Amino acid sequence: MTDFASRALLPAGFADLLPPEAGFEAATVERLMSAFAAQGYVRVKPPLLEFEESLLGGSGAAMARHSFRLMDPVSQRMLALRPDMTLQVARIAAVRLGGEPRPLRLCYAGQVVRVTGDALRSARQFGQIGCELIGSASVAADVEAVQLAASSLVDIGARGLSVDLSSPTLVGAIIEGTGLAGDQAALLRNALDRKDAAAVATHGGEAAAMLGLLLRESGDAARALAALRTAGLPPRATEDARRLEEVVATLGARRPDLAVTVDLVENRGFEYHTGLCFTLFARGVRGELGRGGRYLAGGDFAAGGGEAATGFTLYTDTILRALPSPEPARRVFVPMDAPASTGEALRGAGWATLAALAVHDDTIAEARRLGCSHAWIAGTIHTLGE
Amino acid sequence: MPANDKLVFALPNGRILTEVLPLLARAGIVPEAAFSDPAARQLRFATNDPSIDIVRTRAFDVATYVAFGAAHVGVAGNDVLMEFDYDEIYAPLDLGIGKCRVAVAAPAETLGQDDPRRWSHVVVATKYPNIARRYFARRGIQAECIRLSGAIELAPALGLCTRIVDLVSTGATLKANGLVEVERIADITSRLIVNRAALKTRHAEISPWIDRITEVARAA
Repeated sequence: MTDFASRALLPAGFADLLPPEAGFEAATVERLMSAFAAQGYVRVKPPLLEFEESLLGGSGAAMARHSFRLMDPVSQRMLALRPDMTLQVARIAAVRLGGEPRPLRLCYAGQVVRVTGDALRSARQFGQIGCELIGSASVAADVEAVQLAASSLVDIGARGLSVDLSSPTLVGAIIEGTGLAGDQAALLRNALDRKDAAAVATHGGEAAAMLGLLLRESGDAARALAALRTAGLPPRATEDARRLEEVVATLGARRPDLAVTVDLVENRGFEYHTGLCFTLFARGVRGELGRGGRYLAGGDFAAGGGEAATGFTLYTDTILRALPSPEPARRVFVPMDAPASTGEALRGAGWATLAALAVHDDTIAEARRLGCSHAWIAGTIHTLGE
Repeated sequence: MPANDKLVFALPNGRILTEVLPLLARAGIVPEAAFSDPAARQLRFATNDPSIDIVRTRAFDVATYVAFGAAHVGVAGNDVLMEFDYDEIYAPLDLGIGKCRVAVAAPAETLGQDDPRRWSHVVVATKYPNIARRYFARRGIQAECIRLSGAIELAPALGLCTRIVDLVSTGATLKANGLVEVERIADITSRLIVNRAALKTRHAEISPWIDRITEVARAA
């Protein structure tokens, strides 16, 4: 026994998911995927392994340090296990579905694996569920992505949801305007990512005052947008500002119940994004439920090109923490003396049935022992109390 | 208000605490009497504001509590923030208190005998292995860090290491142990820190406190 138990030790960051959580996770993923399908998103399923240079080349380079690799004995080339699904879906959209009419709506769900966990998520394997909307640069597409992500989470019962809107290119344009580059620009970006007001003042150069203002006024949507209007933005940043205004206004009109904040200096994790981005949080839940935003699909982000696209990824593990615990399953124990058709009839009526495999003297005790909530006895269903 | 819905402020024990408490008091947050009772064993305290509790932990742990969202707001030196480099911590305000620096120090008698430019490797005793490793890596030196929790100044004299990386405020402790500061890594002050997700989801509760503490810190 001890020997067998020690064989249950799993590598750090990997876990067995047991009942009822495993079932609840699968059901949650399916409910989200149906919500996406109901709005015209069709499912794709990329593989777990790809050639390292294609998966991690170009814009995938940022994920390179997160990837497990192995040697393919067949092609004798290095393979990478996917650390993220977004780029795979963008690749599918650009190549295999390149001839499909635009806008193209795709969704996906699957597991990803990373070589290390991070501070908040020690798991090295977790689920991603997402949508990509490819071939439209319109405000309507931005709103659709945010609204679909938020509404489908609310609909499956996520509580205290809050959407944080940002526009990473806004800060990019401001930093570019100051002429800061290389290490200096990186220090400033890092300070902005950590909302470190003192470091922004130190490293901000000419833009220190403007960035300080945007940092201070981030949060409440109305206050942030008011600050944007008076900040004296460089011309290149005004399109980002207008887009933020339009999305906040449209979302506010369509989903006034949704808590929306605006982060004017967010950049972290959005290095390859080219416009309006968003992050989903839930009150009392550690980490992000998901994130998304505008990017160029099928292009090399460094070289430019590609199609206007937006989309989002939700993280299964965080979503489950934001949901109320599932109702215990209604399971009914069916003893051997029940007529053969009993199980089928009960299942037809929405019950999960557990069929006895032997004759038991005390049906109730056996039902309870097996964790059933109910027992079928002589044609009636008995509720089992505590 | 249910206890788990309160805003939790995490404060560091020790010297910083005596500077932070008056600041918080001016902003309108005063902990219950047991907080300043040295005999009290409790670690979580109510305040005059029913929506706020204060917890008291070691300086390093403040950052951890806030990073994981167990506390929503805290006070931590940027030495601690640099060491952990947590993505989930925002530092919206420099409180301007607890001024000191993180520095490299060496035994006075070894200076000039050994040219650090020739090193590929150095043994460093420190509370800040990440800061030390990053600092020496930028100079092309692999730092082998021995993690100590206190009395770091003792380590070189006992032959544990050739350098230490530690907080220095007046330099008196270094001097008393035959050490000299050879390079300053960063200037340190205490920062008001906030958990990222908490700031996003409870913005209306947290941001007025940031504004108020900013006001009193500026006035000080």
